[in-house]
Amino acid sequence: MADSNAPKPSSSVKLVLLGEAAVGKSSLVLRFVNNDFQENKEPTIGAAFLTQKCNLPTRTIKFEIWDTAGQERFASLAPMYYRNAQAALVVYDLTKPTSLIKAKHWVAELQRQASPGIVIALVGNKLDLTNTGPGGGGDADGAGAEDSGDARKVTTEEAKTYAEEEGLLFYETSAKTGYNVTEVFTAIANAIPETSLKTARGPGASHAGGRAEEQRVNLNGPRDSNAKEACAC
Amino acid sequence: MQAFSSFVQKAQQLLDPSQGLNLSDSDRNPSKASLFQSQFRLPSSQHPLYEITAELTIPPANATQGDRDRDRGYQYAGKLHLSEAFLCFSTTPSSFLQSASTSTSSIFTGQTHGSGPSGNGFTFPLCSIRRVERLHSQNFQFALSISTWNGISQDAAKEKDRKDLREQRITIQLAGSRQACERFCDGLKKGLRANVGNVGKMKQVTAECYSEYLLRPEDKKNAIPPDAGLGMLFKYPGDPKKLRDRAKMRLWAEYLRDNGRNMTLLRQPTFHKLIRVGLPNRLRGEIWELTSGSLYLRLENPTLYADTLSKFSGKESLAIDEIEKDLNRSLPEYPGFQSDEGIGRLRRVLTAYSWVNADVGYCQAMNIVVAALLIYMSEAQAFFLLSALCDRFVPGYYSTTMYGTLLDQKVFESLVEKTMPILWEHLVKSDVQLSVVSLPWFLSLYINSMPLVFAFRVLDVFFVEGPKVLFQVGLAILRINGEELLDAADDGAFISVLKSYFASLDESAHPKSENPKLRAVTKFQELMVVAFKEFSGITHSSITELRLKNKDAVLNNIESFAKRTAIRNLGPDSKLLSNDELGALYDRFYGVLYERQQRDRIIKQELARRAKSSRSRIAEAASEGGHGIEKGRVGLGPSTSLMDYDAFREFLAGICKWAISDAPSTPRRDAVTEKEKGFYGSFRRSDSLLSPWGAGSEPADHEFLRRLFQKWDTDSSSALTLQKVVSGLARIKGKRDIMGTINYFFELYDDDGDGKVDREGILRMSEALLFLSRRGLEGTLSPSNSTLTLSGEGANNDQGDVLGQPVSERFLGSVSAFIRRCFEYADPDHPSNQDSAVQELGDKLASTDLKEEPESEQLANPDAFAIGDDDDEDDLLAMDSPTSSPKAAAQRPASNQPPPPTIQLNSPTTQLSPGDDIAARRRVSKAQSEKANIALDPSNPLHITLPTFRMVVLADELLEQFFESAFPASFHLIDGIAGPTSATTSTAASPLTTFSSLGFGAGRAANPAAAAAGQGPAAFGAAGAAVAGAGGAGRGLRGVLDNIVTDGMRVAAEVRRRMEEAQRELERNALPGQQSQQQRGSGARDDEDDEDDEELGAPPGAGSAGGNGKGAAAAAAAGAAGRYAYAYGGDAERRSVRSSDRDLLTGADAEASDAAPVGDVPAIEGGVVGGGLGEGGSSSVGVSGGGRGRAAEMGTGKVVGIEFDG
Ligand SMILES: Nc1nc2c(ncn2[C@@H]2O[C@H](COP(=O)(O)OP(=O)(O)O)[C@@H](O)[C@H]2O)c(=O)[nH]1
Ligand SMILES: [Mg+2]
Repeated sequence: MADSNAPKPSSSVKLVLLGEAAVGKSSLVLRFVNNDFQENKEPTIGAAFLTQKCNLPTRTIKFEIWDTAGQERFASLAPMYYRNAQAALVVYDLTKPTSLIKAKHWVAELQRQASPGIVIALVGNKLDLTNTGPGGGGDADGAGAEDSGDARKVTTEEAKTYAEEEGLLFYETSAKTGYNVTEVFTAIANAIPETSLKTARGPGASHAGGRAEEQRVNLNGPRDSNAKEACAC
Repeated sequence: MQAFSSFVQKAQQLLDPSQGLNLSDSDRNPSKASLFQSQFRLPSSQHPLYEITAELTIPPANATQGDRDRDRGYQYAGKLHLSEAFLCFSTTPSSFLQSASTSTSSIFTGQTHGSGPSGNGFTFPLCSIRRVERLHSQNFQFALSISTWNGISQDAAKEKDRKDLREQRITIQLAGSRQACERFCDGLKKGLRANVGNVGKMKQVTAECYSEYLLRPEDKKNAIPPDAGLGMLFKYPGDPKKLRDRAKMRLWAEYLRDNGRNMTLLRQPTFHKLIRVGLPNRLRGEIWELTSGSLYLRLENPTLYADTLSKFSGKESLAIDEIEKDLNRSLPEYPGFQSDEGIGRLRRVLTAYSWVNADVGYCQAMNIVVAALLIYMSEAQAFFLLSALCDRFVPGYYSTTMYGTLLDQKVFESLVEKTMPILWEHLVKSDVQLSVVSLPWFLSLYINSMPLVFAFRVLDVFFVEGPKVLFQVGLAILRINGEELLDAADDGAFISVLKSYFASLDESAHPKSENPKLRAVTKFQELMVVAFKEFSGITHSSITELRLKNKDAVLNNIESFAKRTAIRNLGPDSKLLSNDELGALYDRFYGVLYERQQRDRIIKQELARRAKSSRSRIAEAASEGGHGIEKGRVGLGPSTSLMDYDAFREFLAGICKWAISDAPSTPRRDAVTEKEKGFYGSFRRSDSLLSPWGAGSEPADHEFLRRLFQKWDTDSSSALTLQKVVSGLARIKGKRDIMGTINYFFELYDDDGDGKVDREGILRMSEALLFLSRRGLEGTLSPSNSTLTLSGEGANNDQGDVLGQPVSERFLGSVSAFIRRCFEYADPDHPSNQDSAVQELGDKLASTDLKEEPESEQLANPDAFAIGDDDDEDDLLAMDSPTSSPKAAAQRPASNQPPPPTIQLNSPTTQLSPGDDIAARRRVSKAQSEKANIALDPSNPLHITLPTFRMVVLADELLEQFFESAFPASFHLIDGIAGPTSATTSTAASPLTTFSSLGFGAGRAANPAAAAAGQGPAAFGAAGAAVAGAGGAGRGLRGVLDNIVTDGMRVAAEVRRRMEEAQRELERNALPGQQSQQQRGSGARDDEDDEDDEELGAPPGAGSAGGNGKGAAAAAAAGAAGRYAYAYGGDAERRSVRSSDRDLLTGADAEASDAAPVGDVPAIEGGVVGGGLGEGGSSSVGVSGGGRGRAAEMGTGKVVGIEFDG
């Protein structure tokens, strides 16, 4: 990929989506990338790779998105994908409490195993299935929805409190309506520290190398770290 | 996770290598059978029975290549193999050699055929052979003419007239000694005969092969073609013209006509060439089936697919849900999968497979692979081919951990590093992980990566040459795109380079070339050439080697991931334990399960091997099990994650001293069988190799363990998950507050959860306390022994037994006090009874006042009450003068009752009185005790509540400490306890604490009531036969237990009953040699191995016993020579293990407790003593049973008898 000649500096950010099967990871990505919502026809083997640009006032972020496969057994492949990710979207389905438990697991996994500076966003998806639905305003929405007998099973409060404790970005979204989807990605783009951005990879090799170095220390992933050692800048 | 590999090693050590078993690591050293199976792609039921060097001659009529010889046709030298149902010939000598290289295997077939059915030859099911004739030829000593059913329907008569019939006939010349040839021929004859019955099956299977239709005789011109996949309905992918499908079909028709079809196909070089250029659409499925060997799976069980579908029709499963989600995204671009027909087939095949291989179930990517197969083959064919794929071609790819996928990625990476170092370095530098790109290639066998037509070409070769093809193609892709990839610096760029490459595979590889021939070469052709020429060095064996090299690392990664995940998901209780503790628990939990699984397998295989070897010569074959499908390790996929009771025992034995049985290596019997036939005692299998506990010693079995198990098993599923174990332990170790532990203990015994523990429960509790403390107490114990008045003063220390009153002995006193207090403060069950009960209790207690009653005086007098010879354990019953524990006394509520006899510890120096009249004393004691124990009177039901229990515990410093620290501390989660073996063998060197020495150990699920069984008089009779060893132990108890007995507390009975068991154990296990040693009073006897069926009954003198063996040192240390020496000398503790037929006793207990009056102390004593003394086997039992006419006694007597008989 050639460096774009856009006036704004452009940098790529590797982002990984994690979460229980069927919480809507692929749908979120599809919404973000194509602004579309449809049954997923793409057979995902391991993980699907997509890219999308995100324009910030000062720079352009090119997201390289790894949408991991839904099936539980693919979880053991996850380290391969979050390995050097700078950002992660941990998704749960706010109509399904177990999916939040799973999300917490992924958060813990990322905090312990992924790049130290990784930006994590906790995303409660399928907001359209709650009474308030998308379109209303953020927090107030969720709070009001709880006792009205809708499909919501995870309160905004619960997830939000948890997210704050863990220092995560937190959003409730609907891939179906598109509500809050771009917001999540934009928030992530903004949260990526400038220093960890490599402007167009080749020249930014020193950054990359540095990151790889960190990886080696922190990662117990399946990757052969010995082999990696050889490169060490 | 190091643990796991050491398990494997352990398992290997269990095997006698000379027996050719190598079951625990089939990869590293594959058995000949598995190599044979993979060479010819045969089902795992097949074993190489005979093999012989031979020369295959194919007559000119159907020879398409080979060494032409005008007279003899085409000839191939190779090896002929015979298995149960197949006759195979291959020119490839590599089959059994991992070291085989391409060069050795490419003599006839070109350089890329490394393994599998890639050589020339055939794989004939024996049922496809019509006739074998021995040729009488001058040239050949042994030549066989083999004709097959090829092209012949069973209606042979009709066939004879057929003009176009060319019977397939080949000649094989055997090269070997006359004897070897004869042997082979005999085997073949037998095999042919055995397989005649399968001819029908074979016809049924081949009927589904398209080749039969293709080569059908004239008269069947209008037959309906068999199902050759969805392609027949929806067209095959690709342009048939471009694919030159018709030409290929003609070539194949000719080849098949000359060389036989499906079952009877002869592989000649043209065969491999035809595959390399791509299979014609309608034959593709059949050839895949043939080369992959799934045809033979189908032959084995032609109806399995249909049967499975109907068997599970309508059933639901997780796999089915997952399958359903993916049906619409499996090759959606192919029209067949936009239709219900295609989707339906896909659903059925995936579902059927998920049922037959529930371990794999369904994995995403299987949908794509099966969809691809279904384009070219029928459902049943695809079903079996999927089976062959999962089991043999890409094992572990679709498992629940996908370890095979990760492993092959690792292998692929190391191949890239080796063959393309520059590219590799670039990948590393730009931080691109190759496997995110290559993983889908492998997982979906390129079907999802390349345009279908090309992916199928790869599959054509893959099925005949094996998984190495995936690597060769992958490497070629990277090599061809090397330049561009070096410019790509991130995942995205990398992916897009490859994406556009795959999209252009049909374009010219050299578009600008002047040479039109070169211009005509497509990128795909180039890919194949690079893959198979440039990377011809990638062979089956080099892949195998790399897989082995990387396997542990990959599994470790998966396992540590699984572990992290599991630990995080253990629920809120797990927060009470530290991360280290959880980690250790996880390792132990799965470690035990894995080890047990391995052991089970080894044992099974060993048994099978023995069974087989006694029947036939194919022992080696039989030893090969499961054909390389490894299981057990967490990383390998679904392994047991449920812990049954036996595993639980083993698990506990790894972390708790008290959970180790006191006897070494008693074969395990599971609870059921033990109850049913366990009375036959602990027969020892001569072969320790088959010990179900492996190298470790047997875990204890005790009612307490069962209770703990049930308590932890919150949903009563008779199996513990890790989560349950963690929750269970969290409650014991987590909070570390004494009240919590006390409550927990109480709950354990509050069976119905009504907040009350009845008489029985109290006794069981105390029994458990003894059980738990028999190896000493851990944690911080106050050195004070003020709780009890001990006559033998001495230094107390935690190790117990050095001088005077060891902690554990004091603890025994505490337990006695516990029982007493429990009964004292117990509430009557029926308030109306209360007064009278109390009154009665008071009376009885009064009557037992040692100082008042003459009979009681007997009790008070240790000598008088001593039961049995001094040589015997009777002494354990010896009474001393009662002394109330001051504390206990102080806490006694003000009441008019005389204090119940308290439990007092005797002076350790109590002397044995060798000449005592045991019987007399015993009678006395019995009568005495009968009166004594109102508390045990079943007609006065009572219970304690939690507050009472708490109070009673807290009233005793030692008990308090037990619950405060000793009990929680006895679970060593992280470090575990010293190796189990040492725990047992250490008995000699470092004595366990007094209790164990005394024979309390042997935790057995004993109902105290059962102790009431064997009756006194009987026992007396038997007493004469007492053995020194146990006697020693008994002596140790004298002075400790006196007042317990006085009190009529059944704990004493219990203790003695255990003594009895110890005794019995001793009898059972002592060797004559040992016995004589004992008699001689010779010391140093330290190997349990020499204890065997000893005839008991030698009355050794106390002195000699004191000098006995292991006991001696300990005794000296203890400074209480006679008593302790005896205790250790008797080595009762170790023996009591075998008395560990706890289950059988549980059964007996249940039986006995109904009938036996709980309060019948004398009976209990008698029983105990009787049992304890009743050496020598059934005779004493008979006495015991007959001595008293009471049902319960009889019951136990019988039990004992049976046990002895055993
Ligand atoms: N109502 C609703 N359904 C959604 C939403 N996002 C996804 N889904 C549905 O949830 C199911 C699973 O979505 P998918 O994106 O495949 O989940 P993934 O397994 O996490 O990738 C699909 O049926 C989607 O249509 C959403 O925001 N609202
Ligand atoms: Mg998805």
